[in-house]
Amino acid sequence: MAKRTLIEQLDDAVTGLLTSRKSKPRQLDPEVTSLLNLAADLRHLPRPAFRKKLKADLREPVSTAASPVSAQATATPYLTVQNAAQAIEFYKKAFGATEIMRLTEPGGRIGHAEIEIGGSRIMLADESPDYGSVAPPTLGGSPVKINLEVSDVDAVARQARAAGAKVVRPVEDQFYGHRSGQFADPFGYTWIISTEIESVSHEEMQRRFESLVSTPPKEVEKSATGKVNPIREGFHTITPYIAVREAHEVIDFIQKTFDAQGSILGVGSAGGIHAEYKIGDSMLMIGGSASWKGTPMPTALHVYVKDADATYKRALAAGATVIREPADMPYGDREAGVKDVAGNHWYIATQQVSASYIPAGFHAVTPYLHPKGAAKALDFMKRAFGAEETFRSESDNVIHHASLRLGSSMLSLGEAHAEFQPMPTMFYLYVEDTDALYKQAMAAGAKSLAAPADQPYGDRNAAVEDPFGNQWYIATHVRDPQ
Amino acid sequence: MAVGKPAASGSQSEAKERLLIEAAQKDPAHFAELYEKHFERVYAFVSWRVRDRAVTEDLTADVFHKALASLPRFDWRGIPFAAWLMRIAHNVIADQWKRSAREVVGDPPEAVTTITPEQIEDRARLFRLVGLLPADQKRVIGMRFAEGKTIREIAKELRRTEGAVKQLQFRGMETLRDKLGEKHG
Repeated sequence: MAKRTLIEQLDDAVTGLLTSRKSKPRQLDPEVTSLLNLAADLRHLPRPAFRKKLKADLREPVSTAASPVSAQATATPYLTVQNAAQAIEFYKKAFGATEIMRLTEPGGRIGHAEIEIGGSRIMLADESPDYGSVAPPTLGGSPVKINLEVSDVDAVARQARAAGAKVVRPVEDQFYGHRSGQFADPFGYTWIISTEIESVSHEEMQRRFESLVSTPPKEVEKSATGKVNPIREGFHTITPYIAVREAHEVIDFIQKTFDAQGSILGVGSAGGIHAEYKIGDSMLMIGGSASWKGTPMPTALHVYVKDADATYKRALAAGATVIREPADMPYGDREAGVKDVAGNHWYIATQQVSASYIPAGFHAVTPYLHPKGAAKALDFMKRAFGAEETFRSESDNVIHHASLRLGSSMLSLGEAHAEFQPMPTMFYLYVEDTDALYKQAMAAGAKSLAAPADQPYGDRNAAVEDPFGNQWYIATHVRDPQ
Repeated sequence: MAVGKPAASGSQSEAKERLLIEAAQKDPAHFAELYEKHFERVYAFVSWRVRDRAVTEDLTADVFHKALASLPRFDWRGIPFAAWLMRIAHNVIADQWKRSAREVVGDPPEAVTTITPEQIEDRARLFRLVGLLPADQKRVIGMRFAEGKTIREIAKELRRTEGAVKQLQFRGMETLRDKLGEKHG
């Protein structure tokens, strides 16, 4: 009974406290008084429903934050690519991306798309130069890399490679406590894939970094396969180098005429640009500028195209002058000749005797030399560079036309005659061993322009001039520049 | 200002909390564990300064949202996590008081000088102990105090007699008092 009284006493007191009712001053049992002290604090007891809801809200801060915009306003990479639809598919396969949305233009191009990798949003769109959005191939690469933090770098790297990503730097333990590697996607972007394996303080990181950079660098950086390809990716053995004051005009001309793709990569110390453009499967290097002080070396190039007549018309529309109108040649090509504003000769041809418009063994572009003394020039190239003669047409000891194979490339020449006079040409050669070939060329009678040396752009090269005035840069790709 | 000490101090629990914080800094999903650990402490502090329950809830939510947003900048070497939370709570309350100077939401911060870390910890511990009560006592205490319901309302909702509800209230408070006493012993 006494217990019951205490229970009633307590409830009266609690009710008074909760309703702020002045309870009559009454003699309370000490037992009740000690419990009532708790009631003052219990008045502030949090509602379990509130505790639960706040916990849930904190899991999804976007839904409850005062400003959902600011909650999402983080830095988001925006990738411009050639073929965004393919890129989205690639990122799905390579990195497990999920597509959030895409805006497709009537023509099928993607004007804007968003994907998510892990918890990160990435925006992308098709290239649109009119709006200042250009993709890495147009620029010759991307200076921005994207870092992906993943839980298992090796697994993601395998997945990326299976999807078609190329190894730029293999996955390795890094001094800063991550295991990471770099991978190039087919659209020109480099991804750093990384997993933290050790917690390293900034101080420790700096210490390790210092000891790392003070160590002499390895002689040759090796790629994932253990060896750097001595021929730069995308290049054949021979790359003609057009060095003229009208470099910009030449670029314009080959873009309009041959739909050449490439970019200006830099400006040299003599004020000339360095550009690399591709016609079909063949690279061309172009250098010089109006202010460049070097000796111009216009060149004669033979270009195989699908439709010689159409290309010839485009060449004239782009400002070229006629050397020879399109005509069927006895050797089976339909061929025309034009001269551009810088004086370069372009022999535009379509092979008509087989299924392909390019003869077997040839690439789209083949340099054509017209030296005085073609037989001697041919002989020199055999001795100096190990060139192999594949065709010769001559009469009375005069070579009308000959073809040479040099590594993966072809070179044509014929005795100078009529309007086809010598045009000493500059060549960039990619070979297995620069130093050896440099010695061989010197022994064959070439004059040294520059001894072999490592260049900052990842090539080791030397330069020689042959007795006919042609300049040969002999190069070995030793390092993929980072 | 007065800051609360973590309920349990000592290097072992400190190391554990440090791991919790680092985990939450890497992945906000782990913030839930820190929330579980510190909710009562923050709520106790805010409720001490703010009388209105709705405002207390709003400001407590504010404190945790701010803590979650600033977590990447939390540096263990500075101050204990609990003290860091209390600093955020203090600022949130001060801001609220400035914003609504004309409304009386609570005493201005400087007017409350009597609050001590021990008081906050005691209240927080009481709140935590309620969660550990037997289920029916917990329900009655929660409905009575947190939801402000009358004995009659609770009896109706729980389909018990009013006498039974009053008894559960008494037993629950007894249990709480005894548990608090144990630790304080």
